[in-house]
Amino acid sequence: MSLGWIRFRRGEFVLATDWHIEPGQVSVLFGPSGAGKTTTLRAIAGLEKPHDGHVEIGGRVVFDSGRRIFIPPHLRRVGYLTQQTYLFPHLDVVSNIAYSLPRNRRWAGDEHIAKLVSDLRLEGLENRRIWELSGGERQRVGLARALAARPELLLLDEPFASLDSELRRALRRELRSMLDETPIPVMLVTHDREEALALGDEVQVLDSGRATAKGVPLNVLGQPGQGEVARLVGVENLLRLTVTARYPPDGTMVCEGHGLRLEVPLRDNSGERQMPGAREVVTVGVRSSDIILATREPEASSARNRFQGQVVSVELRPPGYEVTLDCGVELRCHITARALAEMNIVSGQALWAVFKASSCFLVSDYKSNCDK
Amino acid sequence: MTIGRKGKHHRLTGVVFPGRIAGMTKVPVLGVLGAASTTMCVLFVGLPVAALCIRAVREERLLTSLTSESAMTALRLSLVTSIAAMVVILVVGTPFAYVLARGKSSLLRVLDGLVELPLVLPPVVAGIAMLMAFGRGGILGPALEATGISIVSTSIAVVFAQLFVAAPFYIRSAKLGFQSVLLDYVEISQTLGVSPWRTFFRLTLPLAGPSIITGIALAWARALSEFGATMMFAGNMAGRTQTMPLAIMTAMETDLAIALALSALLLVVSVAILSGLSIASRRNWQSRS
Repeated sequence: MSLGWIRFRRGEFVLATDWHIEPGQVSVLFGPSGAGKTTTLRAIAGLEKPHDGHVEIGGRVVFDSGRRIFIPPHLRRVGYLTQQTYLFPHLDVVSNIAYSLPRNRRWAGDEHIAKLVSDLRLEGLENRRIWELSGGERQRVGLARALAARPELLLLDEPFASLDSELRRALRRELRSMLDETPIPVMLVTHDREEALALGDEVQVLDSGRATAKGVPLNVLGQPGQGEVARLVGVENLLRLTVTARYPPDGTMVCEGHGLRLEVPLRDNSGERQMPGAREVVTVGVRSSDIILATREPEASSARNRFQGQVVSVELRPPGYEVTLDCGVELRCHITARALAEMNIVSGQALWAVFKASSCFLVSDYKSNCDK
Repeated sequence: MTIGRKGKHHRLTGVVFPGRIAGMTKVPVLGVLGAASTTMCVLFVGLPVAALCIRAVREERLLTSLTSESAMTALRLSLVTSIAAMVVILVVGTPFAYVLARGKSSLLRVLDGLVELPLVLPPVVAGIAMLMAFGRGGILGPALEATGISIVSTSIAVVFAQLFVAAPFYIRSAKLGFQSVLLDYVEISQTLGVSPWRTFFRLTLPLAGPSIITGIALAWARALSEFGATMMFAGNMAGRTQTMPLAIMTAMETDLAIALALSALLLVVSVAILSGLSIASRRNWQSRS
């Protein structure tokens, strides 16, 4: 288990975070660059000294500003893996992995090293030089090297960011299965929503040094309730609408604006907010991947929101395409490449955008892309 | 076609080359320039060295000169003093170079500049300066005399002179080597549970290795060839302070044959040391594939 809190001041910038991670759990620090994610990891590893704070790793206090405790990095038992890996260029693969072992223990006879090599599918690469490895292999060697030191906390700073999406998914699966076997707490820094959802047991959204949201990844990143969070995690459609009717028994309400009439759930995702009043102006978020495109109006459908509009633009946005539709207000919809090809979508074409009421969620501050 | 386009700017040198106007074929300016300058450099360095070797080999008394007592004494003294100087430079200079590379205080930046002072100081001036410090009439003279230690006119003075002029070459090179080791590597090493001390020996030193060996080669070569400061500070006494360069100078006044033989010998020893070290530095991770 690892827990703690830190406070940093660097000029105007103030960073304040806290965490509590159980063994085998992955706590995600999510946010844009410059939010203080890396600084947090470095402080936990002992590579930076926070102004205030208390850090425990494996039940051991390694930093406490009040009691003037500062354990240096090499005695903290953390594993630290970054995007660049920094594998040691003067050593081959297996010497890199076994770097943390005392010199008198030969790696050749070490079961732990042998197991890491096979678990991370590095057999046959043992005596390769570092520059002969691919990006994915480098990250696996980096992970093996960190785990070989038997850390009590694993700190991952965007470890897969420079890899292509398929490799990233494969490495994520490997990391998860490694954690199931050797349960240690993990803190993962990322700005990739998919990665946070796939790996995280808990997520903390950091923005300019402040934790703006915290909770289960699907709740925080799936339908983010806060406007700022919504912007950070990339909710593509934020619509500013007026509540015109409410149906409490159904749990829905009708919001209008920009010539649209939307059916929306009554409560916001966090459940903290009161039900909006009649004529209140609210911001409704819809993810682009939740919108279905149709060439005809799907009359026999349970989806409550259907709008016709004209295609303004089609842009590549891996893993698919983003179609912008002008329905009085611009709606952005994410579809796959095959769907785009089959429907033969071109600019200027009239299409129907369809989405369920439950795909809409209330965002609690009022920034919206309609105002831009 | 406009007039301006006829004179062609060379892409790299920026030289306007009016090849087509004059109706000549195009000449590769850079290639000719490079070949000419390379030839000049090789000839300028190679010719005197070759001349020295040829003259020395044609000398009838070469073997007897080489194996003479005085030649062997001078060579032995040169090797012993320069090796002693190199040991001191390595032991004291390496930690100093590391501090210069990693330290952040402004005092270190001043020191960093001072380290290079002996590089620009004429060796003769260095010799006089050392005389003023460690000589009998120097600042430390009375103190040294009281303890019974005499430096001037001993082999220790030779080592001192070599230290003074050679150490900056090593310290500079080692400092650049340490600076080239990214701090990220050092940090990763420490998170892996390896102490700063062991990190230095297992990571920083091997990664800085090529620069350190280059520094050793430069400093050693400089120590072997030291003349001015030794002459001034240590004197010119056979068997005690007369190193190879001083012996060559002395022989030159009486017998050119001996001077030639000693020169050839010093040349061979220097080349052997330099090439040995360059082979050692090539045997590291950088050029291994």
